[in-house]
Amino acid sequence: MTAVLEVSNLRKAFGGVVAVAGVSFEVRTGEILGIIGPNGSGKSTLFNCVLGQLQPSAGEVRIDGKLTTGMRPCDLNRLGVSRTFQLLQVFPQLSVRDNLILAGQEHQGSMASRLFGRADAGLGDAAGQMIEFFRLAHLADEPAGALSYGQQKLLDAAMAFMAGPRLVLLDEPAGGVNLTMLGNLRERLHAYHAERGATFVVIEHQMEFVMALCTRVLVLAEGRLIAEGAPQDIRRNPTVIEAYLGH
Amino acid sequence: MTRLAGVVVTGAALAAVVAPFFLKPFGIFLISTWVVLTIAAIGLNLTLGYAGQISLAQGAFVGIGAYTVALLTPMGVPFFAAFIVAGLLCFAIGWVLGYPALRVQHHYLAFVTLAFSTLVFLVLRNEEWLTGGIYGIAGTPRPSLFGWSLGGARDFYFLCLGVLALLSLATWWMLRSPWGRAFVALRENPIRALSLGLDTRRYTLMAFAIGSSLGGLSGALYAPLVQFIEPNSFTLNLSFNLLLMVIVGGSGYFFGPFLGALIAVLLPEWLRVTEGYYLIVYAAAVMAMMAFCPTGLLGLIERTAKMLRGRRKAAVTQALTEGAGP
Repeated sequence: MTAVLEVSNLRKAFGGVVAVAGVSFEVRTGEILGIIGPNGSGKSTLFNCVLGQLQPSAGEVRIDGKLTTGMRPCDLNRLGVSRTFQLLQVFPQLSVRDNLILAGQEHQGSMASRLFGRADAGLGDAAGQMIEFFRLAHLADEPAGALSYGQQKLLDAAMAFMAGPRLVLLDEPAGGVNLTMLGNLRERLHAYHAERGATFVVIEHQMEFVMALCTRVLVLAEGRLIAEGAPQDIRRNPTVIEAYLGH
Repeated sequence: MTRLAGVVVTGAALAAVVAPFFLKPFGIFLISTWVVLTIAAIGLNLTLGYAGQISLAQGAFVGIGAYTVALLTPMGVPFFAAFIVAGLLCFAIGWVLGYPALRVQHHYLAFVTLAFSTLVFLVLRNEEWLTGGIYGIAGTPRPSLFGWSLGGARDFYFLCLGVLALLSLATWWMLRSPWGRAFVALRENPIRALSLGLDTRRYTLMAFAIGSSLGGLSGALYAPLVQFIEPNSFTLNLSFNLLLMVIVGGSGYFFGPFLGALIAVLLPEWLRVTEGYYLIVYAAAVMAMMAFCPTGLLGLIERTAKMLRGRRKAAVTQALTEGAGP
């Protein structure tokens, strides 16, 4: 299988603190890759460097073989790379429907055509389908800020999928979500993956969620990659256990 | 828009059309000032209320627009051409002023725009060769349109009202388009917006440029309205006044600037009965409003309407459950 994402020797330092210390890995087309590691191991920083939110201190990022290091997040998004954030990131005053239309509208036409074109940028139906898919139909016209935390997490994920990305990076999608909603979210992610064949990279602490969702897992500790393998092997890996439980 | 809101807006528009037939010249001057300042406030509402970029420079753009028309028309440039030049010039300057907003936000951005405002005032006052300095520029002529002279107070009012109607429609169109959604996204969460493919840099600059351009167009009408402009009309005071209009009316509400400008223009006149105390009463009213209703008057109206609707719904549910009971 070909690599959608290639990260080589990526390093990010904040002054004297090295958050990511030379990490290399590949993500293959269609896989669901999990990235786990204790708090402060550099997972989110790694995401932010891959997605242009932060400039890496060194190293390279390639998407479909194209060098994308230093590209702006909006340009990367238009290349078909999407993400969710660790903390909730919806637009509270916009309705659920408008949140979804917003998530897709910049992929339609030019800036000028968006000004003179339709108010929903031609995405009304697509937003409706996504709302159905994530089972938010009864909340479609509510402001996103009025939704429960779990529902906002679903909306957050739905927004990441709205533009039909080929690569989606999910930063702790299960964080703070109750068990019922978690099952719902996992099932929707699986369904989307099966339907569209998108590639996922998931950062997560909730081990059950990772084990059930991911096909391969990378483990980060202190900014370095310490293990890689199938979920069941990672669970038994002594280095991983030590990194999580300490000395 | 609900049906009631539609009725209120239509009624207000009709009132604006018939009002000058019942008013004395000073009254017509006041409502003309309201119309002209509403245009500038709509611009600021776009930059601040929708896109979330604070600007204390809107008064300066009104000044730039006013001076552009006051300087160009005596050279023989037709008013409507000068009017468009004023808008374009302020668009360009607003675009450039937007660059600091890409780096700093909130009170830091307020200071940047405040410095710009002071800079414009100094240029207007000190560059006598161009602006006439403290002596200002008198006698900017009022235009005529297709042979219809707009020199009279009422005729000129209708020109201003027509321009307001056109610019309001254009702004409304823009805000209901994907751009409006993008501006709100910029205000609510620029980092997430960027990750969804929004070129936040371009939208920020656009919000500044269009908002400033509306300030310039407002100034372009202000010069022939008052027919005497001088630098002191465009100090920070005007910028603060415009900011007050946006906040009092309801920042981020389409009709907020209309209401805010009406209050800012009319209230001081109504409060004249309090003589020397009117500024104190005015200031106290604004402070009370900010404390109890920071979302402005339209925010207050919306909240009340929601509460009433909630109560009515609760009453209906109660009636239904009681009716369904044994």
